[in-house]
Amino acid sequence: MKLFKSIKWRLQIWYGLILVVVLAGFGGTAYQLERNRQFRRIDDELHRRIGVIGNALHRPPMRGPNGGSQPFDRPPRGQFPDDGPPEQNERPPMFREFHLPEQDAHFFDSSDPNQFYFSIAARDGRALARSTNQPARQAITKGAANPFMAVNTISPRASNPPKPVPVFTFDNHREIAEVLPSGETIWIGCSVAPELKELRRAKLNLIGAGSLILLVGLIGGWWLVSRSLRPVSEISGTAVKIAGGDLSQRINIAEAESELGQLASVLNSTFARLETAFAQQKQFASDAAHELRTPVSVILTQTQTALNRERDAASYKQTVEACQRAAQRMRKLIESLLALARFDAGQEILKRVPFDLSKAIADSTELVQPLADERSVKIFVKAVPLEITGDPERLAQVFTNLLTNAIQYNRTDGEVRVSLASQNGLAVFTVADTGQGMAADDLPRVFGRFFRADQSRTGGGNSGLGLAISKAIVEAHGGTIEVVSEQNAGTTFVVRLPIV
Amino acid sequence: MRVLIIEDEPDLLTSLAQALREEGYAVDTAANGDDGLFSAEGTDYDAIVLDVMLPGLDGWEILKRLRKTKKTPVLMLTARDQTRDRVKGLDTGADDYVVKPFDLEEVFARLRAIIRRSANKTTNVIEIGEVKIDTAARIVLLKNQPVEVTAREYSLVEFLALHRGEVVTRTQLYEHLFDENENSMSNLLDVHVSNVRKKLGAEFIATRRGHGYCIEG
Repeated sequence: MKLFKSIKWRLQIWYGLILVVVLAGFGGTAYQLERNRQFRRIDDELHRRIGVIGNALHRPPMRGPNGGSQPFDRPPRGQFPDDGPPEQNERPPMFREFHLPEQDAHFFDSSDPNQFYFSIAARDGRALARSTNQPARQAITKGAANPFMAVNTISPRASNPPKPVPVFTFDNHREIAEVLPSGETIWIGCSVAPELKELRRAKLNLIGAGSLILLVGLIGGWWLVSRSLRPVSEISGTAVKIAGGDLSQRINIAEAESELGQLASVLNSTFARLETAFAQQKQFASDAAHELRTPVSVILTQTQTALNRERDAASYKQTVEACQRAAQRMRKLIESLLALARFDAGQEILKRVPFDLSKAIADSTELVQPLADERSVKIFVKAVPLEITGDPERLAQVFTNLLTNAIQYNRTDGEVRVSLASQNGLAVFTVADTGQGMAADDLPRVFGRFFRADQSRTGGGNSGLGLAISKAIVEAHGGTIEVVSEQNAGTTFVVRLPIV
Repeated sequence: MRVLIIEDEPDLLTSLAQALREEGYAVDTAANGDDGLFSAEGTDYDAIVLDVMLPGLDGWEILKRLRKTKKTPVLMLTARDQTRDRVKGLDTGADDYVVKPFDLEEVFARLRAIIRRSANKTTNVIEIGEVKIDTAARIVLLKNQPVEVTAREYSLVEFLALHRGEVVTRTQLYEHLFDENENSMSNLLDVHVSNVRKKLGAEFIATRRGHGYCIEG
């Protein structure tokens, strides 16, 4: 049932169904209108003939060759009924004879395709006269109760008297009847075979035209649906390639304005972000591996050299010390990587305890003092007591890291200025150094992983992850960290933490 | 053979230098890019071991600048083993590369190979008359019998053999056999030459007065 799950096919099927219903409605209505028109014309004709017969019936009988009428016993097209000539004394004198006037004879001409006929019945139901072409089965023969007859009425035209006239339709024939004020009933009938034939032709024409329109509509619909769904196949094709691993694929957006075009551009930006995230992850893994290569190289080279020949104890000690340094470096790197991974996964659990930030800063300053002395860097601290809620150890790590950087990237005899102040409900901590500053290009990457200002790894075991971890810690506290730097003037880091 | 190692990780640098000295090389070291380029441009080393990631000038930059003046064979030490890094290194003018972490044996072998190639030799064995020098095993054979030589003597024989038919000056020999830290006496070289002649025959090394030494053949 894949066919019915396809949007294309479902649209096409619904579209086809609607088209069929609309066409059927139109065709049916057109057919009905045509049918009504035909029958109204016939009914008008029948009415005219009722008038003609009625007039002929009430005209006084005219005898003699000069009369336009013919005697009733030898009518051109009318004749007595089969049960013989009526008795003269049994009916009113004026109906003793019926003459179809000559000038009216064409109304019942047998060459007319409708084969009009008439029949006149007396008040008591006896047949007075009828035309020769009257069909065997006729409404009058059995009265109005003939079960084969569909009895209905037609509303006369406005010009006719507003009196409903009974209409009978049966076996390709249509008849109407009128009861005269004098009691006689006139029946006028005709064959409707030509009209029915006409209607059948009209029906076939309508069906043919409808089928043609349906076919054209279905083809057009298929084209439209295919066209409008083309971006979908484009999108899914691209998505398949991306799922296959080629993250550089993008959807080719031809119609950016359409709904699918908008979807495609949303997907494209998602793909772009995916690609960036993947590239970052790949870069991160590659950098991490790279960072581990150097200490491993140290251990391998040191041990292989040492084992090459017999050595004295001092030499072995040197080797072991070098290996220890390498191992410490790897441990530090692994710890940093794990910390970052925990922050990334949101698994790092921070303590939430109130503590004095200025004390934490004093502790950190004390910790880095030996390094500062070694480089002849002076540290100036200007901090107000400020209590915040957070993780004292993690924040101390941030301060120590920023201070260490400020000392390491400072010039000899440089200065580091530390300040802590409260500002708009935030604790603002700044560390400014007098180093050579950073290039503007580097600033956006400062907090990136494995970023190093000088690409060296001699910066006192600096892994290039310190600022990335600091950023993660500060952000986990709901704070921000930013950097301002001016080349040859110095760099300033600003940490803002909410005072809770 | 005299080599220069440019490497910023101190523990790696000292152990590499020690290992190469024990292999008989005269070894100079530099801990950053600028010092490294200065040394590399100032001395005719037989080979340079160059780390890619360095403070100051990085390995690529040193290589690019060095190639403007010198054809010294360069073995790159790289922590990146992606093809594009290797291709970049080779295209910039490196003769070979070793990916960290490496085995010392591999560094030795690659170093021997680039030195040999720079002297247009394709095999490890150099034959001069009845003397055979196996540069891979670092041994000298006379009439297919191993001859006991010191590391310095071997280096002397190897250097002269690699420059067979050329006159090698005393300065050249000093440059290639002793590193910058050895304050060698000028007669130390004569002692080595005399010892080699005793072991391999007096005619093996010819003296060109006022020019230097030469292995003919």
